[in-house]
Amino acid sequence: MSVEHNCETCPVHAEMAPLGATVEAFDRVVALAGNPNTGKSTLFNSLTGLRQHTGNWPGKTVTRAEGAFQFAGLRYKLVDLPGTYSLLSTSDDEEVARNFLLFGRPDCTVVVVDASALERNLYLVLQVLEITDRVVVAVNLMDEAKRRGITVDTRSLSRDLGVPAIPIVARTGDNMMALVGEVAAVAAGETVTQPLRSKGTPAFEHAVTTLVPMIEAAAPGIPNARWIAIRLLDGDVPVEEALASGRLAELVARQQAPDARFSRKIALQGAQ
Amino acid sequence: MLVPSHGVLAQFRKYRVTQARERTENALKHLLRQATDGHVASFTSLQGVLRMSDRQLMGLTQRLEREGLVRSEGTQFQLTPEGERVALHVLRAHRLWELYLADELGVPIGRVHEQAERAEHGLTKEQLDRLSASMGHPELDPHGDPIPTGDGSIPESPGTPLGAWPPSTPGRIVHLEDEPPLAYAQLSAAGLRLGQVIRVIERTPTRVVLTDGENEFRLAPMVAANVHVAAVTTETAPAAWPDSVIALTRLRSGESAEVVALDPSFRGFARRRLLDLGFTPGARIRSDLATLAGDPRAYRLRGTTIALRREQSDRVLVKRLA
Amino acid sequence: MSAPIATTPSDIVREAAALRRSLDAGFREEVVTSLYGEVERLTRRAVQDSGSGPLELDQRIDRIVTSRLLGLPLMLVILAVIFWLTIVGANVPSQMLASAFFWFEDLAAGWFTQLGVPWWITGFVWHGVYRGLAWVISVMLPPMAIFFPLFTILEDLGYLPRVAFNLDYLFKRAGAHGKQALSMAMGFGCNAAGVIATRVIDSPRERLVAILTNNFVPCNGRFPTLIMLATVFVAASFPPAVASLVAAGSVVAIVLVGVLFTLVVSWVLSRTVLRGEASAFTLELPPYRRPAMARILYTSLIDRTLFVLWRAMVTAAPAGAVIWLLANISPGGVSLATRTATFLDPLGWAMGLDGVILLAYIIAIPANEIVVPTMLMVYMTQGRMLEIESMDALRTLLVDQHGWTLLTAVNLMLFSLLHNPCATTIITIYKETLSVRWTTIGALMPLALGFIVTMLTAAMARAWFGF
Ligand SMILES: Nc1nc2c(ncn2[C@@H]2O[C@H](COP(=O)(O)OP(=O)(O)OP(=O)(O)O)[C@@H](O)[C@H]2O)c(=O)[nH]1
Ligand SMILES: [Mg+2]
Repeated sequence: MSVEHNCETCPVHAEMAPLGATVEAFDRVVALAGNPNTGKSTLFNSLTGLRQHTGNWPGKTVTRAEGAFQFAGLRYKLVDLPGTYSLLSTSDDEEVARNFLLFGRPDCTVVVVDASALERNLYLVLQVLEITDRVVVAVNLMDEAKRRGITVDTRSLSRDLGVPAIPIVARTGDNMMALVGEVAAVAAGETVTQPLRSKGTPAFEHAVTTLVPMIEAAAPGIPNARWIAIRLLDGDVPVEEALASGRLAELVARQQAPDARFSRKIALQGAQ
Repeated sequence: MLVPSHGVLAQFRKYRVTQARERTENALKHLLRQATDGHVASFTSLQGVLRMSDRQLMGLTQRLEREGLVRSEGTQFQLTPEGERVALHVLRAHRLWELYLADELGVPIGRVHEQAERAEHGLTKEQLDRLSASMGHPELDPHGDPIPTGDGSIPESPGTPLGAWPPSTPGRIVHLEDEPPLAYAQLSAAGLRLGQVIRVIERTPTRVVLTDGENEFRLAPMVAANVHVAAVTTETAPAAWPDSVIALTRLRSGESAEVVALDPSFRGFARRRLLDLGFTPGARIRSDLATLAGDPRAYRLRGTTIALRREQSDRVLVKRLA
Repeated sequence: MSAPIATTPSDIVREAAALRRSLDAGFREEVVTSLYGEVERLTRRAVQDSGSGPLELDQRIDRIVTSRLLGLPLMLVILAVIFWLTIVGANVPSQMLASAFFWFEDLAAGWFTQLGVPWWITGFVWHGVYRGLAWVISVMLPPMAIFFPLFTILEDLGYLPRVAFNLDYLFKRAGAHGKQALSMAMGFGCNAAGVIATRVIDSPRERLVAILTNNFVPCNGRFPTLIMLATVFVAASFPPAVASLVAAGSVVAIVLVGVLFTLVVSWVLSRTVLRGEASAFTLELPPYRRPAMARILYTSLIDRTLFVLWRAMVTAAPAGAVIWLLANISPGGVSLATRTATFLDPLGWAMGLDGVILLAYIIAIPANEIVVPTMLMVYMTQGRMLEIESMDALRTLLVDQHGWTLLTAVNLMLFSLLHNPCATTIITIYKETLSVRWTTIGALMPLALGFIVTMLTAAMARAWFGF
């Protein structure tokens, strides 16, 4: 990850081009997370030029889809994920999303939120902020919010959350450049974020900080030991088993390969 | 305290237990168990446990009587005080060893009984005391059974067998009997765990149906008898709510309310899902849509519309807003 | 707590258990509550809500769409209207395509003959492979090109979750999950996609129920069959003014039969192999949105219609070839096709069908789309049905020469609803369940039901109505 500012990334050359499904060679990985039905797939399509299916109901996307775009000379792999309400819940589609966010090591996670239901959407944002610094919040459906007389002050939101928050309209492609610019900056580490993290009770923090080094020692190279610690404290049996059987490492490895349980055909162009 | 005490283990391994000794101790253990369950042990029940021929078993019981550990009346047997002391010692060894295997050595819980059965014999009281101390004098073995203390007393076994537990009252599993092993294997295969909160939703002569709010467990009554439960202790007993707190289901269409709490008996994934959706105390909610059967209903909450089944909305406690 | 750094997973798990005891029982709940508290603070600062106009409209629509009286009837009406539009709209283009294709077949076969190509090459290429393709395109393309855009508009409007909401009570009674309605809606497009869509169901048991029953919604491959049968046979006995309405009605009826089977089979599964009660159901009902028309056209025409059509053509071409071979290899003077069909006739008769139809189903296992074309081709190779200028001619020929009755048509509709899923769906069931057992059940259970149901209706029709 280079932080240096060479001329390739100068704003003058900052132009964006969709690359479709060519994801073999890429420089950065960007994940699209968010509540169901907030327009992640729509945003994915408008950035990659692909035709991932969208629909006005929660749960349209249930698999991981990958595409690519180019910006300022760098190639970005964009991963569209199923919607999820929380990093704790686990229906099969949400697990796909959660596993990628936790173990897929994205360089930047874009959390797409619905401007007209911010309250529920920001809950997931806070959870994502707990596990990673490299977050950009895309406040989508701004057109709809406006029609309902809802205004969102993204500057205040951005200040409070400690990460960039960009208003967009994924359907029309409004403000895409600003979003992509922020994503690039965060992925490159040029924008230093200060994510809002609420502290738990002292006993809780103590418990977590005791477990994290143990987990890191037992499973070296595991991203998000903190999340695993919290799950263990919660008594999450599948996580316990995954840890005991070494499947966590496998889970990490699997996130790098395309969603193997489906043919790409069905995921991307199939009659989904 | 969590370091496996290999020294103790090594010493225990040195012990060569004779078969005779094992049988003696198993017989005593059986007599003790029958006594605590309020049954009387008989020749046949002993035979069932020890699987010996009539002649061998006769020899064994006669020897036990001679040594003053057992009293017999016809075909029934009882422990003498000395016999009870020995039996408690063996039981203590068994349960401590089980805990050691499960907790310190990471042996799967389904296998600890069988292994402990072999290892429990021929341990001295000093060795047991050290083992107990190395684990911080635990009170319960991995199945939730009380471990006898060094001075020979046995803590009261907590909980009520499932057979006697009132239906649809939430109860916490405090003990899963590990004998017979087959029944225990069934319980653990079904996914029942210590500490789980369950309710009996159906009890017939042929089966007992439990639910933890997420999954259902169907057990044969014989197997269900091996599950012991105790009352759920929660700070928020439902009875303590004032009258103004009602179930969300009772809200009429268009009425608004404030979420007070989720029913404590409502657990597991379903509860977590509602929390994640924002059904947290203080959240404002409005009853919005009802279907033909009045179930499910949809509610406005935090700028979204969420549909819930009656089973769920019954367990969301709310306070009407004017 | 003076625990040294332990590194085995079970040490960690045990340490976690020990630490857990030091925390309050409901600590995680407090975390959620405090996160939401934080969120409320954030939204208060960043969001200004000045009354809500369009939301009112949404609510008014929802009151109607989910109302006690109108909710379910409205669903049926919408479904019927979609089918009616499909049937009315597809009729003419289908016939035009058919005549164009067959006109060209004759022409091209003529050229081949003039050029001195051996007769069997001409037969194989034009009367085999090409004819298979021609049938598939003319029967399938027009209805799909109308049905899919209409259906996708409903999806984009946000109607599907309302359907799930309305139907949840029935699913609950059957021990299943209301979101099964969503996966069924996806099954209208393609059962394989429907099976994948069951991922939105939280409970593994209910998800398996949904996977196993998804095949009871007719997929795009089977719709054209149903539509053709409904138009050509069922509706034809009614006056032309209402014929298309009757046709739409009978397709809706078949879909309802499918829903009925879904519910009954779910109920049975929930009380036998997949025991359990219905669990929790949480479904978010999104606001209604204006459909994105350009995207809808693209998805439904390119992705769905052409994708499916392509798949059908890939299987239709070899099927056409196979049929041509079966029809033209005649040991002992009787073609293989006729032999097999004769062999299957008794079973076919018991099911109210005939041997040719069963043969067509066997040939069409790779893809359901080609059942009707295969059937017609086999009939044609029996030499009695040469050209089909219009759908009415098709009807006359089938009825007059092959003894079709209303029973044949109805049972064929039932059987195309209730039979084994196509190969792709079976593979998908395996990928999702990773279980040979469930895959086998998922493949064979609908087939067994199909046999039983058609045999019953055939027996009843014969006993009571003298078919
Ligand atoms: N008006 C408006 N509608 C949008 C916008 N973005 C997305 N939509 C619509 O919102 C609906 C949901 O979009 P999707 O992209 O499928 O949402 P998703 O987040 O991928 O949903 P899941 O895959 O179910 O998690 C679709 O009907 C889109 O057309 C937007 O910026 N404005
Ligand atoms: Mg999506």
